[in-house]
Amino acid sequence: MATITVDGNDIQVGDDERLNVIQAADRAGVAIPFYCWHPGLSVVASCRMCLVETGMKNKDTGEISMMPKLVPACQTPAKDGTVVVTNSPKVRANQNFVQEGLLLDHPVDCPICDKAGECWLQDYYFSYGHQERRADVRPFTSRKRDLGEHVTLFVDRCVMCSRCVRFTQEVSGGSELLVIDRGSHAEIDVFPGFPLDDQMSGNVNDLCPVGALCSKDFLYQQRVWFMEPHDSVCTRCSTGCSIQLHVSQNQLYRIQPRYNPNANDWWMCDIGRFENESVRAPERLSSIEHRSADSKTGAGFSNRLWPEGLKAVHGALSEIAARTGGSTLAVVLSPFLTCEEAYLLATYAKTISADVVLALGKVPVEGADKTFKSGFTIRAERCPNRLGVEQILRHFQKSVIDWPALLKKVEAGELQGAYVSAGYPVAWIDEAEAAAFERLSLLVVHDILPSPLARKAHYVVPGVSFAEKDGSYVNHSGLIQWGEWGLTPVEGAHVDGQTFSDLLGRKGLYQAASVLKELAGIVPFFARAADGVPQAGLNLVTGTEKHPRTTALGTVTHPLPTFRSVGTAFLETEAVSRNGSNPISG
Amino acid sequence: MQVWLEPLIKIVLVVLATQAAVAYLVLVERKVAAYMQDRLGPNRVGPWGLFQPIADGAKFILKEELIPAGADRALFLIAPVSILAAATLAFATIPFGYLVPWPGADPIELTIAPKVDIGLLFVFAIGSLGVYGVILGGWASNNKYSLLGGLRSSAQLVSYEIPLGLSVIGVLLFSGSLRLETIITAQAQSGWWWFAVQPLGFLVFMVSGCAEASRLPFDLPECEQELVGGYHTEYTAMKFGMFAFAEYLHLITVAFLTVNLYLGGWHLWGLAPYADEVGWFGAIVRVLVLNIKMLLVILFFMWIRWSWPRFRYDQLMNIAWKVMIPLGVINLLVCAVCQEFLDPKNYLTRAVLGWLAVGGCVLYAALFAHPGKTRLKAPGIT
Amino acid sequence: MQPDSKQIKWVDEPKLGLAGRLYLTPLIDGLSLTARHFFRTARGEGFTRQFPEERPLFGNPLIYRGVHRLNKDEQGRVKCVACFLCATACPAHCIDIIGTESPWADREKYPQSFVIDELRCIFCGMCEEACPVDAIELTSLFDLTGASREEMVFDKEKLLSVYDQTCDLEPMRSRGPAAHSGPPPGKDH
Ligand code: SF4
Ligand code: SF4
Ligand code: FES
Repeated sequence: MATITVDGNDIQVGDDERLNVIQAADRAGVAIPFYCWHPGLSVVASCRMCLVETGMKNKDTGEISMMPKLVPACQTPAKDGTVVVTNSPKVRANQNFVQEGLLLDHPVDCPICDKAGECWLQDYYFSYGHQERRADVRPFTSRKRDLGEHVTLFVDRCVMCSRCVRFTQEVSGGSELLVIDRGSHAEIDVFPGFPLDDQMSGNVNDLCPVGALCSKDFLYQQRVWFMEPHDSVCTRCSTGCSIQLHVSQNQLYRIQPRYNPNANDWWMCDIGRFENESVRAPERLSSIEHRSADSKTGAGFSNRLWPEGLKAVHGALSEIAARTGGSTLAVVLSPFLTCEEAYLLATYAKTISADVVLALGKVPVEGADKTFKSGFTIRAERCPNRLGVEQILRHFQKSVIDWPALLKKVEAGELQGAYVSAGYPVAWIDEAEAAAFERLSLLVVHDILPSPLARKAHYVVPGVSFAEKDGSYVNHSGLIQWGEWGLTPVEGAHVDGQTFSDLLGRKGLYQAASVLKELAGIVPFFARAADGVPQAGLNLVTGTEKHPRTTALGTVTHPLPTFRSVGTAFLETEAVSRNGSNPISG
Repeated sequence: MQVWLEPLIKIVLVVLATQAAVAYLVLVERKVAAYMQDRLGPNRVGPWGLFQPIADGAKFILKEELIPAGADRALFLIAPVSILAAATLAFATIPFGYLVPWPGADPIELTIAPKVDIGLLFVFAIGSLGVYGVILGGWASNNKYSLLGGLRSSAQLVSYEIPLGLSVIGVLLFSGSLRLETIITAQAQSGWWWFAVQPLGFLVFMVSGCAEASRLPFDLPECEQELVGGYHTEYTAMKFGMFAFAEYLHLITVAFLTVNLYLGGWHLWGLAPYADEVGWFGAIVRVLVLNIKMLLVILFFMWIRWSWPRFRYDQLMNIAWKVMIPLGVINLLVCAVCQEFLDPKNYLTRAVLGWLAVGGCVLYAALFAHPGKTRLKAPGIT
Repeated sequence: MQPDSKQIKWVDEPKLGLAGRLYLTPLIDGLSLTARHFFRTARGEGFTRQFPEERPLFGNPLIYRGVHRLNKDEQGRVKCVACFLCATACPAHCIDIIGTESPWADREKYPQSFVIDELRCIFCGMCEEACPVDAIELTSLFDLTGASREEMVFDKEKLLSVYDQTCDLEPMRSRGPAAHSGPPPGKDH
């Protein structure tokens, strides 16, 4: 145990923990302001905001020898005997001057700056800055520079912390960003002809502590304080990044990553971040539709109201099973379903008949896994929950029938009816593949967007996107994570879990958490999740995972009180066993 | 003249006149209120706002009729009709003039149903039927405020019936009849108006009459601050209009009774003295005298309404049971003693005795009454 | 505060004299007061103003809180920079702004749409206080009426037209134009 003294208070730090003074002070409940340091990036100590007084305590004599000059807290390791003073007049004066220096050529255009409200410069200036600005610079309009497909640079707002530059060098690896010019003329730029448009570019917007880098997607859209964060899970690949949905007035304004050492660290890719049109697409399916058997043109769809429509679907499915036997009916579990929904749907299928064929929905694969310099990977498997659905399938019928196998069965004429759950955010099936299903005498498609298959269906049941439902997903490594709904379903659509539990004839509102508990009791693979899923998830395969620990400051006095680009407690990571006292999973 | 024609004409005349009177009394009331509050009141419809009642009437008729979902429809509809009917019926035995000579026949008495020996009782009986409308309306609305208003109203009306009845017994004793025409004639013949002879009775009658008409300061059944609108909260359009009509009809009734019982009816010294027969001129003068007196009484009631605050409900009940009934009894005693022991023509002594009774009551109040004794104090303060 | 606190001064009810106890003087006082006012009004000394004919006079129209207006700058462009601060300050949540990039070189952001629901507004003036560029102001137009709810939802054009209507009577309470200094305005690249 190493003992560190922060502002007169001793704290204990484990011997194998490698903390810098910012982290150590954070544990002691003291906030040291900083810009350039980021736990996921190398340390450059360039912003000088974190300067503190440090010294060493002599173990034997108890004598403290202080360093004559201020040192950057981000670069100073917290060793046994380190003494830190963060509130001396000297430290205060430095913070004060750093703030003043940053504001010398800053446009102070907070009213139109999209970062206002989550800007560290704003917050720090209130806490550590001068009462008034001594420079006689009037607010002006910042110059604007286009850095890439998703990123805009407001040149004059930049505080030159170089986080973005280091990110492209160390995490994404493209090294697109660089600092041009020197001293007070230094600016961030890209080489002509080499814009920042790799698939992780969106992260630099989050990294920027001020309003210099702004996401084009979110630019001018909404003020941050109007938005509510909802913790969710990205469903665009099987990495399953932890994310936050930022929602205001039932509209999804942006998606940001949430710190999760088990899945995505601090980052997420641009696909998950920006390509979310499907969530509020105008063409979203929004009513149960029924196509009468005789009109094959697709023009014969008529809307059905919910309870009756669903009864009709149930009637049709049962009728097939009764007429030609359960084995002629297939129920397809999409890898976009949450574990709870997959479980309910499988249970429902087995209540129709024990012989119903359960199949895994199409697993979309795009190219190969793409791994970045830091190890962050965009997986080729573009769905969130193949593993979870497979586990459920295994439990219900031992073997997994995948999509190609199902297609074969359809083409061989072994099936009379099928219930296909989908929920894909992008086009997922082409005419040729869908044509095979024409031979079925009953096809129910449960999807969110119109597709060739939906046009062939006898019944179309509208589902909801990931942003509109609660539930858990198991990622490629077996990490189960919990996503919470942020938007209400589009009008006319019902939450999938509700639809399945209605089909099952269960009474009342669908509660994903209690279904997960039920699932954990029935399918052993999920047993660890019986008491809910903590923020950082649970690895159901390996049985261990890291849990970020909340420090004394917690989330309250952190420099960013409202929104933070990276999760809640992002300063440290440590493996806390699931049984130990873990404040997050609590 | 046809035996049915004469009453018919009188009925039409009275009903039309009272309806018109009500419409314009509303205007007068609004004007009076406005003037007392330094405003001008309605002045947009016609000169001086004179067509306002017509606009109001049109509004009442055109407004949407609502019946609350939980209401008892039948009773809800009957309530305003019954209250209006009762209010109108009370005019049957109230004289609104003296006699009109008719060539070749007996002079016509200006009462719809003349020579009804129980005239006054009839008025009281019919008048108190109005309380049914109030209770029914409050009950049928299925609204707690309405119900409370209806209950308050019934309790109030029932309580004030007693002093009202007590106060007029003195008048009956002195006039020797329940017939309203006779009561007027008695005053005219003697030249003494009964209010001067029985000041206590007059006071009790005015107060109780005010309460019976639910006028401020006794308008607890509909006091807005506590009950939204009282028993007619849920009523809209013409149904509400009927309640409002009935209220003003009650006011007119009370004013007529006050004039006829205590203020000499059509009698005015010099101008309209007692006479067995009157010519056309005399008849018109008497009608005018009576109605102007009535109008003045109404104006007085309006004046009161916009000057005084409303009583609390307990005060209201206290006044009825602890003040008005004893005063009424005292008045009755004095009158009975006078009638028994004094010469029937000796009105001066009667008046002196009547005012002595007033003085006695004041003296009693000065010595023994302690209003405000039950002052509430904050908890913990002694 | 406790009822027995020293700071509370309990006042006793005034003692009523005999006339008071008989309600006599208070009642007559009341009657005479209303009578006095009645005759005063009858003499034509009432306070009523005949509104549409006689317009009310404002002591200072600049501090009246009536219908909003959106101010224009010297070039006739909407002054608002779509910062949403008024919408943030508004306790009635009646301001709805859609911001977008401005078409002008010297300005960054401007409101593509700016809508105030005047029916929801409580005319507190918080929006005026909040605005960093004095773009939104409450005018002395008080007789705001409309035949439908939609009509009372004022959009940008209508709010700007209120400015045209009132700018002569009520000059902008501006703290001077937003001056530019520092690096030259304009966009990079
Ligand atoms: S006056 Fe008040 S309520 Fe009205 S828009 Fe402005 S801030 Fe909102
Ligand atoms: S506060 Fe002013 S500048 Fe900002 S949006 Fe409102 S009106 Fe526009
Ligand atoms: S955070 Fe330490 S110098 Fe920037």
